[in-house]
Amino acid sequence: MTLLGPSGCGKTTLLRLIAGLATPDEGHVSIAGVDVTRTPPHKRNVGVVFQNYALFPHLNVGGNVGFGLSGKGLAKATIAAKVGRALELVQMGKFRDRPVTALSGGQQQRVALARALAVEPSVLLFDEALSALDRNLRETMQVELRRLLKDIGATAIFVTHDQDEALTMSDKIAVMNAGQIEQFADPLSVYAQPKTLFTMRFVGLSSEMRGTVVARGLGQVRVETPVGAVMAQGDQPVGCSVVVATRPEHVRIGGVEAIEDNCAEGQIRQITFHGSRTRLSVDVVGAEFVVEMGGVNALPSAGQAVVLRWPAACSFAYADSSVAA
Amino acid sequence: MSAVVSDRYGLLARVRCHDLLARVRSRRVGLTLAAPALFVLIFLYAAPLAHLLAGSFRGPAGFTLDAYGRVLADAYGRSLVWNSLRLGLITTGLTLVVGYPAAFGLAMSRGVLRSLFLASLFLPLAASVIAKAFAWTILLRSHGVVNDTLIFLHLTDKPIRMIFTQTSLIVGAANIFLPFMILPIYAVVAQIDPRLTEAAATLGSSPARAFLRVVLPLSTPGVIAGVALVFSLSVSAYVVPNLLMGENYPTLATTIAKAFLLIRDPALGAAAGAILMAIGLAVVVVSNRLSEQGGSTK
Repeated sequence: MTLLGPSGCGKTTLLRLIAGLATPDEGHVSIAGVDVTRTPPHKRNVGVVFQNYALFPHLNVGGNVGFGLSGKGLAKATIAAKVGRALELVQMGKFRDRPVTALSGGQQQRVALARALAVEPSVLLFDEALSALDRNLRETMQVELRRLLKDIGATAIFVTHDQDEALTMSDKIAVMNAGQIEQFADPLSVYAQPKTLFTMRFVGLSSEMRGTVVARGLGQVRVETPVGAVMAQGDQPVGCSVVVATRPEHVRIGGVEAIEDNCAEGQIRQITFHGSRTRLSVDVVGAEFVVEMGGVNALPSAGQAVVLRWPAACSFAYADSSVAA
Repeated sequence: MSAVVSDRYGLLARVRCHDLLARVRSRRVGLTLAAPALFVLIFLYAAPLAHLLAGSFRGPAGFTLDAYGRVLADAYGRSLVWNSLRLGLITTGLTLVVGYPAAFGLAMSRGVLRSLFLASLFLPLAASVIAKAFAWTILLRSHGVVNDTLIFLHLTDKPIRMIFTQTSLIVGAANIFLPFMILPIYAVVAQIDPRLTEAAATLGSSPARAFLRVVLPLSTPGVIAGVALVFSLSVSAYVVPNLLMGENYPTLATTIAKAFLLIRDPALGAAAGAILMAIGLAVVVVSNRLSEQGGSTK
């Protein structure tokens, strides 16, 4: 699972609480049903991969990976075998006798992971462990790491502020904001059915418009906005001010009278090309829409007037009072 | 395509050539910058030193090892060497025991506390060694501050003899040289990432084991520097044994002064100086070797 949230929202603090590196003022920490709130970190059997890896600079790769094993009264040969296996898992077997200071960021990351895996922890914690890597390496590591964790069947908790990483890596995501968990669900629900406006905004892009509920029923509301009346998922009472938000890929440009419930007219202000998709920024009266289009054919041009259509099922109304503009 | 490749190689060669030129130039710049210091060292330090060394071998009938014999082959002479070494060893040991934890305290302290701590380390360095040694004589003499306080508290009826004892010498020397132990250790300890101890803890290390396996090895460069500094300072200390022990604790350093100033035996003084210098050089060589070893395992 992943703890996802902006900087300073308390994700790292939560991770430190789980690892025992910080003590809670109140509440309890349990691992596999056992209360460990008062257990010191070295007795918790958690593995932590730190943001800067925190490798021991005075030890070589093998020494780092074996560090957690050598205090356990194991035979030398057993330790050597376990170190070897952990290094093989992260494909760093050849580097066993290298000093860690001579490794690249990605290699250090792997050593840090092998070091945490070697002690066979009941929980693995990753504190922004991938954020120091460059984009390509990070994406490769995400895939490898996910496969590796599936293979060994370990519970892993990631802390990240990177939405893509959270969506790629996790079975469950806890979206955190200001010390509170906003939503705890699988990546698809978090992305496609965000419970709060914060989640909507943080996990991906969204187009938003403010308005007032004028009717409701069947889990939907009709909201009067500067754009016009729009339908969205929600159950706010009539008269309530709300923010209606929708994801860019649900908004279609132009086309014939379609099945979509909502429509608005606007003018394309900006087009940014992102390779596999193109992002359009569209000015609509009183709102700015973000639209994403796949492919490179039939792209509209900036300044063009367009009609936007999007379904009610993919737009969500959030009570406005809870969110400051 | 091949044109592009060959062009690239040409560029590479040029870059490499440029690199070499830059390195030569930087060496020349380095030499120029060091020139004044080199001048001072060679003419104002090395030359007189050579003269001194030559003097240590000079007797009435030309070359002789007589002066060295008088220091190294004679029981009294050897006691000079031993006294110097002992002062150095005990002072180094004591300052290490007191200074090592203090350096950690300093590294962990914050704000006002750290400022106070640093000030209490640096301010004594601004005071002359003579003043500090005298301060100790005032504290420790028969009717000094310490004895008066003890008598006032009825802990003793008669003043205890403290000045001119070896205890006073060691306490005084340790006090005066303590900053030279704390500062290098502090400088190294402050650089140790606190996350390393946390990492050790999450890998199952008790705080004691984390200290022994992580913090202690990482702090050794500071310890080596501090030990080398305090040992070479205290082994050659002149003011401290002279003021706190006087004639009761003759060392190589006090003998050098006496040989030149009182008994007019420059060969003896020069020989004692040369021996002291050899000890100092040995310290430098050993500590360099040790810190290189520490570095090579990194």
